Amino acid sequence: MDATTKFFEGLEARGHDPRLAKMSATLRFDLTNGKRTARWLVSIDKGDVSVSHKNAKADCVVRSDSAVFDGIASGELNAFAAALRGKVGIEGNPEVLVIFQRVFPEPPRGRS
Amino acid sequence: MNDGLVKILDGNTFVVSDSRGDIEASLTDPTGLFSYDSRFLSTWILTVDGERLNPLSVDDLQYFETRFFLVPGTGTVYVDAKLSVIRQRAVGDGFHEELTILNHDANPVNLTVRIEAGSDFADLFEVKDALEKKGRYFTKVENGRLLLGYERESFGRQTAISASAPHKVDKQGLTFSARVEPQGEWTTDLDVAVATRAGGTYVRPKYVRGERRAQPNMGRSLERWLADAPRLESDSDSLKVTYRRSLVDLAALRFAPPVSGGRSLPAAGLPWFMTMFGRDSIFTSLQALPFQPELAATTLRALGSWQGSRVDDFRDEDPGRILHEMRYGEMTAFEERPHSPYYGNADATALYVVLLDEYERWTGDRKLVRDLESEARAALRWIDEYADLMGTGYVWYQRRNEETGLENQCWKDSWDSISYHDGRLPGFPRATCELQGYAYDAKMRGARLARLVWKDPALAEALEQQAADLKRRFNRDFWVKDGEFFALALDTEGNHVDSLSSNNGHLLWSGIVDKSKAKAVVGHLMGPRLFSGWGVRTLAEGEGRYNPIGYHVGTVWPFDCSFIAWGLRNYGFKEEAAQLAAGILDAAEFFDGRLPEAFGGYERGVTKYPVQYPTACSPQAWSTGTPLLLLRTMLGLEPVGENLIVDPALPSSIGLLALLDIPGRWGRVDAFARGRDLLEALQPRRRTLART
Repeated sequence: MDATTKFFEGLEARGHDPRLAKMSATLRFDLTNGKRTARWLVSIDKGDVSVSHKNAKADCVVRSDSAVFDGIASGELNAFAAALRGKVGIEGNPEVLVIFQRVFPEPPRGRS
Repeated sequence: MNDGLVKILDGNTFVVSDSRGDIEASLTDPTGLFSYDSRFLSTWILTVDGERLNPLSVDDLQYFETRFFLVPGTGTVYVDAKLSVIRQRAVGDGFHEELTILNHDANPVNLTVRIEAGSDFADLFEVKDALEKKGRYFTKVENGRLLLGYERESFGRQTAISASAPHKVDKQGLTFSARVEPQGEWTTDLDVAVATRAGGTYVRPKYVRGERRAQPNMGRSLERWLADAPRLESDSDSLKVTYRRSLVDLAALRFAPPVSGGRSLPAAGLPWFMTMFGRDSIFTSLQALPFQPELAATTLRALGSWQGSRVDDFRDEDPGRILHEMRYGEMTAFEERPHSPYYGNADATALYVVLLDEYERWTGDRKLVRDLESEARAALRWIDEYADLMGTGYVWYQRRNEETGLENQCWKDSWDSISYHDGRLPGFPRATCELQGYAYDAKMRGARLARLVWKDPALAEALEQQAADLKRRFNRDFWVKDGEFFALALDTEGNHVDSLSSNNGHLLWSGIVDKSKAKAVVGHLMGPRLFSGWGVRTLAEGEGRYNPIGYHVGTVWPFDCSFIAWGLRNYGFKEEAAQLAAGILDAAEFFDGRLPEAFGGYERGVTKYPVQYPTACSPQAWSTGTPLLLLRTMLGLEPVGENLIVDPALPSSIGLLALLDIPGRWGRVDAFARGRDLLEALQPRRRTLART
């Protein structure tokens, strides 16, 4: 299983994440691999999280290469640095992503 | 401007040029057009018939707008000028320049007007540290525009230059053939627009009101900003000048980070520190609370959104930690610097809770306190779970990012700021004293919020017990008995880093000092080793590393003094607080009301004027906020319940002081003070006031 799938399935399996408790919003991740686009729609209702592949409107849409997002979903890449680098495009309300990025995994220890 | 450079800005976009309006930057030269920590123009040179121009005068119209009056001619002798040239420039997301040439002669003239343009797209960090670029440059001429660009992998920055008058474009600039009739004028608009690449496409900033050209986003609200602030009346003209200067500079220092919903918070300094800093934004918001309380609200929201959530050694991030500094440039993007954001400070997290409580006390805005409950709880947990690196019940710091992290994670963050009496530097981790004071204050204030707003009396009790225990241990472990002051820090052995420093004043502010010790501490703060006559030196005369022009080892920092004055008031030392306020406000007069970040620790009687410490940033946010906090301490403003208590103590240099329309939970009230009396009059307006 790739890191992205593992990340979203883990999120769905937890059902509730206290780090997102204040948030009620939707995010859509459009991740492209060649010509294919994988979509992940995350709906958050006061920390209750559900994940699907629906192509629905969202408060914040995040676009990147699937390889880049694998890095973010595994903690190897920092989401904000990747966005500054132009590797991640953000549409809609960026604050939603700022809060959401709290649940991306930690980087490996000792990397500096 | 004392460095001969002209600076205008809007948010984190700013232009630094010479007094002709020209930019001729090198990698190490700090002129140019900057936005989001990248330089978008490093060359911008105007010539008329191949000649550079000479400046006659510069009008700083607003902080976002300036006007240059120029004449042709070389050298220092102004030839009988038949022409004058006016460049009026306003900064927005990019800048807009209106170039006008007036012909004062009886004959028409045909002129070749040229703007040379170019950009090195340097990161702000590269300008400071003179580093090499790693990407690729390109220049394009399209549709009459000159397009300058820089790309490195998916990172991209662009500058587009266009003009309204007919012109020719080449890769180095724009050329105009201008015919100016007798007594006539020729004019063109020049637009410089910046764009950033994200997700493969270039995004031009959206101007706030939908304009097509760069416009200041905040400038037009300056008048409203000034009208919103309390009005000051005084017999001291210099105080009035200083007050107005502070309000205008604070307006210039407003910065709306991308996630704040367009609301602004105080950035740290202009122009190099126009970004969110945890410590600086919090201290400045505290100083400005009685004047512009919404700065605190935005600071709390924005810092809360970015609160640390994981352990990240590169960024010195922990769960609950409040950020130190945020940057947007190339080196941050490529993780050559950790500022995305960087969390390496040991004070902002406790100060975050302090600000939240102080904000509620002034404004009564409990909704924000409820909204930020989880952030405040996480901040309080950070103090116990992540800051106690030695397991001794104190806040310690040691960077985990050894390469680009900060060594000293307290406000005195230069390399030699923390030293023993004999000048040696302690090892790491270090537990500086003021950090313990902030932690104590955060626990006490967190307890109040827990009881009052979060309805969690068990947490309140636990925090109060921890605070009491911390205070007891601190007064035992940090107290230098034979000197009767608090040590600057503890070292890893638990020994005193035994220098006498201004940090003692912050301890009074936080309330951690035993009442029985306060008098001795005040004696030191206002005594000859620390008090220069202008203010309190960061490090006392006679310490091993004392140097009156050493950054944190002898200079006087106005912001430091403003919090010391607050601390003096907290312990009932009104006269001393007034004396300190007078010293700093007297110094402000020498700087036309704009206090520098720091000035020399020389004794006042010797130099007669405060010697400015050379720094790149002016105004500096917490220096700008200093006169505001000193007004609060002189008037003795203190919210108690639903009322504002006024308990003034003025220095002898001020006979009359009135602050009208102070905003808060009481609506708007006025405070009056006269002479050295405690309280002359207090006139309720829209609400009855309590008073002592």
